[in-house]
Amino acid sequence: MAIAPDKTVLVIGGGISGVTAALETAEAGTKAVIVERNPYLGGRVAQLYRYFPKLCPPYCGLELNFRRIKENPAITFYTMAEVEDISGSAGNFTVKVKQRARYVNEKCTACNACVEACPVERPNEFNFGMDTTKAIYLPHELSFPMRYVIDSSVCKGKECAKCVEACKYGAIDLDMEDKTIELNVGAIVFATGWNLYDATKMDNLSFGKVKNVITNMMMERLAAPNGPTKGKILRPSDGKEVQNIAFVQCAGSRDENHLNYCSAICCMATMKQATYIREKNPDSKVTVFYIDLRAPGKYEDFYKKVEADENIQFIKGKVAKIEEDPETQDVIVTVEDVANVKKIHERFDMVVLAAGMEPQTRTQRFPGGVTTEENGFILKDKLQDGIFAVGVATGPKDVNTSNQEATASAINCIQTLVGGK
Amino acid sequence: MPEERVLSPDINFIRDLKKVGGETVKKCYQCATCAVVCPMSPDERPFPRKEMIMAQLGQKESLLADPDIWYCHNCNDCSKYCPRGARPGDVLSALRAKFINENAIPSFMAKIVRNPILALAIPFVILFLVLAAEGHLHIPEGKIVYSHFFSIHTIENLFGALVALAGLSYIISLVRFWGKLKSLNGTDYKMKFGDAFVETIVEFLKHTKFTKCEANADRKNGHMLVFYGFVGLFITTCWITFYYYVMKIHSPISLADPMKWWANLSALSLLVGILIIIGNHMKDKGINTKTSSFDWTFIIMILLLAITGLLTELIRLAGIRQLAYPMYFVHLMFVFYTIVYFPYSKLAHMGYRTLAITYYKMVGKDVM
Repeated sequence: MAIAPDKTVLVIGGGISGVTAALETAEAGTKAVIVERNPYLGGRVAQLYRYFPKLCPPYCGLELNFRRIKENPAITFYTMAEVEDISGSAGNFTVKVKQRARYVNEKCTACNACVEACPVERPNEFNFGMDTTKAIYLPHELSFPMRYVIDSSVCKGKECAKCVEACKYGAIDLDMEDKTIELNVGAIVFATGWNLYDATKMDNLSFGKVKNVITNMMMERLAAPNGPTKGKILRPSDGKEVQNIAFVQCAGSRDENHLNYCSAICCMATMKQATYIREKNPDSKVTVFYIDLRAPGKYEDFYKKVEADENIQFIKGKVAKIEEDPETQDVIVTVEDVANVKKIHERFDMVVLAAGMEPQTRTQRFPGGVTTEENGFILKDKLQDGIFAVGVATGPKDVNTSNQEATASAINCIQTLVGGK
Repeated sequence: MPEERVLSPDINFIRDLKKVGGETVKKCYQCATCAVVCPMSPDERPFPRKEMIMAQLGQKESLLADPDIWYCHNCNDCSKYCPRGARPGDVLSALRAKFINENAIPSFMAKIVRNPILALAIPFVILFLVLAAEGHLHIPEGKIVYSHFFSIHTIENLFGALVALAGLSYIISLVRFWGKLKSLNGTDYKMKFGDAFVETIVEFLKHTKFTKCEANADRKNGHMLVFYGFVGLFITTCWITFYYYVMKIHSPISLADPMKWWANLSALSLLVGILIIIGNHMKDKGINTKTSSFDWTFIIMILLLAITGLLTELIRLAGIRQLAYPMYFVHLMFVFYTIVYFPYSKLAHMGYRTLAITYYKMVGKDVM
């Protein structure tokens, strides 16, 4: 039985939370529309190599969801689109969406001929700048929608147009323009997610200055088979296989100078990433420097499993100084080993900063009268009727909890649409 | 595994510590960022993380025998990087204030110093009684000569006795502290006391350790000017005594005299130094964060000592009798304050820090 089939729910953000919220709504029979800023759906999850604690590939679940989207006519989505204005009230919102031009239409078959023709390179933000793409590119191997896109900030446009010549299908349209779309929706879900905190802001951790210091999200891309190193964990300075690696926990999190809260997932993410290295290189050694390890509830089992590996060492003490050996490009970290009351200066091939989650709503203002707490997370209780927020937009959390919230939001939206509460 | 030990927290110690500027101590969550960013902290048993937990747990006895709180030069690199706003630099500063109170004898003097009004009332009454006894409770006629007000011998006897008493008390406090330090280590020394002591003094003269501070680099200038101001004024006192007894030259002494040049330069150095320190405290911590009252009291007293001293001279030169003698009286109050309360005030850090660094050198922990 379809509920409120003539009404629409808008989901802002096409990451795992947004996709789930839209699917659950649409599968109940109500129309759902996703507005996503990136040229693809899947958000941060699309960049992960594996999930904790089961260590299964996130793309498996994502593909399942994308198939559900494809098969369900009640769901539509806009990529490269952002919500500019929200007016009206519960049951009857008018939403203005701005969609940037993709310059590639639905005729694209992802044959890659355009990329071969394109003369311009750009840093690949999907891989955190660890490799490059052409100005026309596929966001990543499994992009949904499977369609190329042109980065207009670097593309030379019509004076070049080599891609247009190369495309046999007439899929490239350099005349495409940005457009504004007006939507009428009954309820809205904020699933705006997070960015990785800018690690260059922690000057003592030397990210950006010491070449072999990377972030945890970069580690996901290094380990991923579709990443810049095809899944080999090689250090940036010389491409050497990483043998001895350190993780710096709370890099920015639980720090009033940076993110004044625990990002909730970094301990588990680090333990998960420790298994990447141990699995790919049996002789490798991993050291995790932490203040407190947070593996709540059932995650403790995963911690026990990781801790049992004698090549993985946990040392209590926060790394507060990172330097580079100019000759070998090795990374030297200084930390007080709290249990032994001793400062240690240890050398590693590579260091991973377990950087935290910064809500999108902290760095970007959103329409809809959204109120945030001091750290930028949306205050659910202060949202106007008919507007809901889920996932990391309301607080740092893992995928599992985000999905629970997103599923719950579907019933909130439907209740709004049928006039109940 | 660390040995098992039952801790008995001294709750009042924690409460007192919070009152004298350590109110942020409980915010610390033991991440140890401070021990790493501190340019002074050694590799073996680094500080100030361990001091933070010792203070949180009220481990008074261990803290009072801890040379590390004195090895700290309060440059606050730790507070800048502290993720919790626990301000380890301020807590260590409060621990030093607590230490001075606890270690100095007689202990009632420490209580007096904690009450600035009482602390100033005492010299007021004493000086007033001295004047009354000498029959000088009026402004003397004629040219302004301060010895017509308080005679040289009165000043000498009074302040001579005060210096002796304060000095004795201070020496006893230092010996106590040294005893505690020695008991930490036993006999394993890498350097002799004499050598370590001389090296420490040379470092002080150059202020080398201050140059390691990053968060608060300009503290060096203020501290150095105050330090040399006091050294200069001490030399002035010796110089003027020499003039009086050996050369038979009596004050007021001509402005052209090298002694006068020296004295005025020293006073200016003290004044400028203390103004720089005040400027740093305002800028460094912001108006909202309070520098401990122990620190502020001391800073203000030194400022007033310098200002009243210079005014005493300027008003005399201007020839305003009605103002000059009262100003001299007030200045003597602050001189009294500085000397008598030395072992119980911030100035006492001089000896404790010297001993702590000497000890560090002797056991081979000095970070240079």
